[in-house]
Amino acid sequence: MKILLIEDDREAASYLIQALDEAGHVTHHAADGETGYAMGSSMDYDVMIVDRMLPRRDGLSIIESLRAEDNHTPVLILSALGEVDDRVTGLRAGGDDYLVKPYAFTELLARIEVLARRSSPAEAATSFAVGGLNLDRLSRKVERDGETIVLQPREFRLLEYLMKNAGKVVTRTMLLENVWDYHFDPQTNVIDVHMSRLRGKIDKGHDNPLLHTIRGAGYMIRE
Amino acid sequence: MLKLSQLWRTTTVRLTALFLLIFVVFSVLLLGLIWWQTTMQLQKAQTDAIDREAAALVRIDADGGFRETLNAVLRLAQQPGPGIYFVADQSGQMLLGNVTDLPPEVLSDPGTFTFNYERSRPPGVDEDAPAPTGTALVRSVRLESGLILVVGRDVVERRGYSAIILQWFGIGVAGIMVFSLIAGVVTAVRVLRRVETINATSRKIMSGSLSERVPVTRRNDEFDGLATSLNQMLDRIEQLMQGMKEVTDNVAHDLKTPLTRLRNRAESALRDGQGDDAQREALETTIEESDRLIKTFNALLMIARAEAGTPSGAFSELDLSAVVADVAELYGPLAEDEGLELVAEVVEGVRLNGNRELLGQALVNLVENALKYYEPVEGKAGKITVSLRKAGPRVLIEVTDNGPGIPAEDRTRVVERFVRLEKSRTMPGSGLGLSLVSAVTRLHGGEFRIEDNAPGVRAVIELPGVAG
Repeated sequence: MKILLIEDDREAASYLIQALDEAGHVTHHAADGETGYAMGSSMDYDVMIVDRMLPRRDGLSIIESLRAEDNHTPVLILSALGEVDDRVTGLRAGGDDYLVKPYAFTELLARIEVLARRSSPAEAATSFAVGGLNLDRLSRKVERDGETIVLQPREFRLLEYLMKNAGKVVTRTMLLENVWDYHFDPQTNVIDVHMSRLRGKIDKGHDNPLLHTIRGAGYMIRE
Repeated sequence: MLKLSQLWRTTTVRLTALFLLIFVVFSVLLLGLIWWQTTMQLQKAQTDAIDREAAALVRIDADGGFRETLNAVLRLAQQPGPGIYFVADQSGQMLLGNVTDLPPEVLSDPGTFTFNYERSRPPGVDEDAPAPTGTALVRSVRLESGLILVVGRDVVERRGYSAIILQWFGIGVAGIMVFSLIAGVVTAVRVLRRVETINATSRKIMSGSLSERVPVTRRNDEFDGLATSLNQMLDRIEQLMQGMKEVTDNVAHDLKTPLTRLRNRAESALRDGQGDDAQREALETTIEESDRLIKTFNALLMIARAEAGTPSGAFSELDLSAVVADVAELYGPLAEDEGLELVAEVVEGVRLNGNRELLGQALVNLVENALKYYEPVEGKAGKITVSLRKAGPRVLIEVTDNGPGIPAEDRTRVVERFVRLEKSRTMPGSGLGLSLVSAVTRLHGGEFRIEDNAPGVRAVIELPGVAG
C-alpha cells in the first residue's frame, strides 16, 4: 500500500514509517499541513494518516479541502484529543476513522488495512464466503458446508464485519466501534466473550477453524 | 405560551393587578367623594333657601301682622317650583298652602322634618289616578302673630339629580376598570413577551448552544440594558469555556505526545526481538503501565469536559431504551461466564436529548463495577439487574446487584475522584469510574446516587425526561 503520513512529530513519524515499512507499506511523509495538503491533492495514495494538530494548516481543514476536490482517499485521523465531540467533528470533516494517541501500532495497522479496502467492492457485496462459510446479507442466513447456523442479530453483525474484512486483522476496539458503535476501551474482556461464543457456533465440530485469535492484536477470519 | 395559573405567578401580572386595584379603589373613592360633596352642596342650597324664606316671612309677620304674612305666603305658594308653603292657625287648622296632609307633629312641635306627602295633581291629569307622592323637607315656625308657618322644598328632583350623578359616576368607574384592565393586560403581555424572549434564549444556551444571544431592540429600555449585560456575560463565559477547552486540548497534546513516543519506543524495541525474556517483560510492563496512565488521563479529561458541559454538537435525541438494552446485551455473556445472571428490565421507547457515547460509557462503568466487585453471598445465585424505567417525568437507570454492597458511610465517598475502597485497592482501576458516571449524569441535568439494595448495591442515574 502507498500511504501518506502527515505528522509534525518527527520521532513519532520516523517510528511509524519504519513500522509501516516492516509491514510492507510505502510511506510518504509530510511534516506540516501545507506540504501534506499539496502532496495529498497531487498524488494518489491508498490511505492517508493525518494528525489533527499540525503547524501551518490543521488536519481537519486539509481533509475538508481534499473532500471538496472530490478526493475520496480513505483518511485515518490521528489525534491527542479523544473526546466524543472531537471524534464527531473529525468524522464530520470527512475523516473515515479516528484513532486517539497514544495507540498500539497493531491497532493503527489493522485500521488502515481495513480502510484501504473500503474503496474496494467488498463494501457493497451482498454475500461473503470464507472457506465453506457463507453469509448472505440480504436473507441474513449463515451456512457452513451447507448446514444452517442460527445467529443472534448481534452475532450476525459481528460475523458480517469479520467476513467483510476477511484476511485482515480486526482489533477489539474496532469490533466495539463497528458492531456496537461504542468508542471506549473496555476494562474487561467483554469482546472476547462474544467472540468465543461466535467461535463456538461457526467452528465447533469442524477440523479447520476459520476464526483466529491474533495474539496482541485481535481477530481474523480466514481459511 | 404560559398557562393561566403560571401567568398569575409572574411578578409582572401581580404588579399590574396590584396597580390596577389601587387605581380603581382610588378612582372610586375620588368619585364617591365628589358625589357626596355635590349632594351635600345641593342639600345645603335647599336648606339655606328654606331658612332664608322662613326668616323673611318671620320678619314680614313681625312688621306687618298676619294679613301681610298670609299675602306673602299666598304669593310664594302660587309660584311654580319645588316650594312648599303652609300656614295654620294656633289650633293647627289649615289656612292656606299648597300641601294638605302634613304630619301632625310638624304643627305641634316646630322644627325641621322630612316626610312623604301627596302632591297636588298637575292640571289636565285624570282625577282618578293616584296622586303622586313627593318627599318634603320642611321647617315649621310659630310666628309672633300666633300662626304656624311651614316652609319647605320638595326634594324628589334634587335627589333625582343626585341619583343621576351617582349613576354616571358608576358608569365612569366601570369604564375606568375596563380600560385599565385592557391597559394592564397590554402592558403585562408586552413585558412578559420581552422576559420570555430572554428566558427562551437562556434555555437554548443551557441546552448547549452557547453561541445564542438575547435579542436587543432599538428601544434602548431597561430590557435592552439587561439583554446587553447578559450578552456581555455570555461572551465572557464563551471565551472562558473556549479558553478551558484550548488548555485541556494543549495539555492533552503535550502530555500525550511524549507518552506516544514512550509507547512507540517500547513497542519498537519489543518488535526488534532482541534482549532476554526479562527485558521483554519489562518492555511489556512499560507498555501496560503507559496504557493505564493514558486511560486515567483520558478519564480525567472526559470528566473535566463533562463537568464543563460539552458543546451541544455532541447532544442529540437518542433512544435511551436502546442504549440500556445494548449495554445489557454487551455484558450479558461476560456476566454469565463469571457465574452471574444479568437481567435487563428496560421500558421501551424512552427517548431524551443527550450524548449516547457518554451515557453508554457511564452505564458500562456501572455494569463493569458491579461485575468487578461482586462477591458471592452464601446460598444465593448472583444477579445483576440493569433497568430503565420512568418515574413521573423523570427517567431512572438503575444497576443493582445482590452482592455484599457498600457500607452506608462509604456510599457518597465512592463517587469522589480517585476514591477506592480498601478491599478494591488490589484490583485494577483508576477510581474514576463513578466520578465519570456522576459528571455525565450532571451534564444531562440528572443526579447520580448509590443506595442500599438490601442486600447489594443500587446505583441510580436519575435523569429529567423529555418535556412533552
